[in-house]
Amino acid sequence: MTSRDDLIASLSSDLAPVKPVGRVELWAYGWLLASAFYVVAIIHLMGPVRPEAIAQLTSQMRFLGEMLIGATAIVLLALGAFRSSVPGLSYWGISGAGIALMSVWIGLFLVGLEWPALEPSMSGKRHYCVIETFLYAVPPVLLAFFILRRFYPLNTTRIAATVCLAAGMLPALYMQIACMYIPAHILKFHVVPGLAVAALGAGLALLATRRSRNSRNNP
Amino acid sequence: MLMVSAQAGDEADYRLLLSELAPAVAAYLRSRFGHHDFVEDCVQEVLMAVHEARHTYQPRRLFRPWLFSIVRHKAIDALRQQRRRQTLLEREWREQVVTASFPGTTNHENTLSSGRMIASLDAPYRDAITLTKIVGLSSAEAAAELHISEGALKVRVHRGIGRLKKLLEADRL
Repeated sequence: MTSRDDLIASLSSDLAPVKPVGRVELWAYGWLLASAFYVVAIIHLMGPVRPEAIAQLTSQMRFLGEMLIGATAIVLLALGAFRSSVPGLSYWGISGAGIALMSVWIGLFLVGLEWPALEPSMSGKRHYCVIETFLYAVPPVLLAFFILRRFYPLNTTRIAATVCLAAGMLPALYMQIACMYIPAHILKFHVVPGLAVAALGAGLALLATRRSRNSRNNP
Repeated sequence: MLMVSAQAGDEADYRLLLSELAPAVAAYLRSRFGHHDFVEDCVQEVLMAVHEARHTYQPRRLFRPWLFSIVRHKAIDALRQQRRRQTLLEREWREQVVTASFPGTTNHENTLSSGRMIASLDAPYRDAITLTKIVGLSSAEAAAELHISEGALKVRVHRGIGRLKKLLEADRL
């Protein structure tokens, strides 16, 4: 009996039935809903939001456009990350569109340095928005990791980076409404922490992958 | 569908599925990478991955894309490991003091500082000597690693040692 035959025999003996994971998109939407609800709730709990923000959403089309582009980018990134954690599902188009839209969203703030969507104002200023943005992303990241472990993520670093980018940008997006609107401030104190969450998530996933590979190679 | 009944816990179907998959995966890998010895390791990695990921197969989707995304991933992993091993070997050529014993040489001669002399050999001789005398592979294993016959490997080792002797003599003069 070859070692391959041995392996097949050991894998197929005492085989436990497994429940197929079902539609991964539903998990992605569930995660998005739970995370968005949590982010909105915690931001409202921790401080007042900019009073005129809702009125600006209905009266300033470019501001509304920015919000919609940011939200769509986050949905696509999350969907791409969840789909890529199941072997064989296509995700490049969705993730690519998410990254492209995210770049456009960030690009709009760069354009806004010269031509802002709203009249820059200190109204709604939150003193610790940079820390808030970073910290509020942590529970969605943990929840995403917890859910994604149910599947079989092949490229853990890329998936972690993508889902952490989505999680990091959720509070950054809502800070558009909750905090003051000055593009330079948004870039520095809302967008950068969101990107940092993505980098941190990718770094942690890389470390975890290396550790598990080392322990597999040196049992 | 064998995978569906495997998900339900049918051992016989699962054994049949894995037995049918293994040669197909091996043939696919050989068609891509040739007759490397890592192909068999990779096939076994794929079988284990199929086992761990079997709950992610969705019966309403095709089986092939699911399987081959795992195969591709495992193949890339194996190639990376090969590259890492190669880098390690090259580092050994530069850093490790050669302790291999060659017939007819003294201890002093056996100690070739930093593998400088081995590193100066032509690649075929250097590879053959490193794999057999430093890494410790058998002739058959080293021949498989270099994709040559065992006879050719022995010739390379013999000639490589001859060249090393000449280098040592030149060094002593």
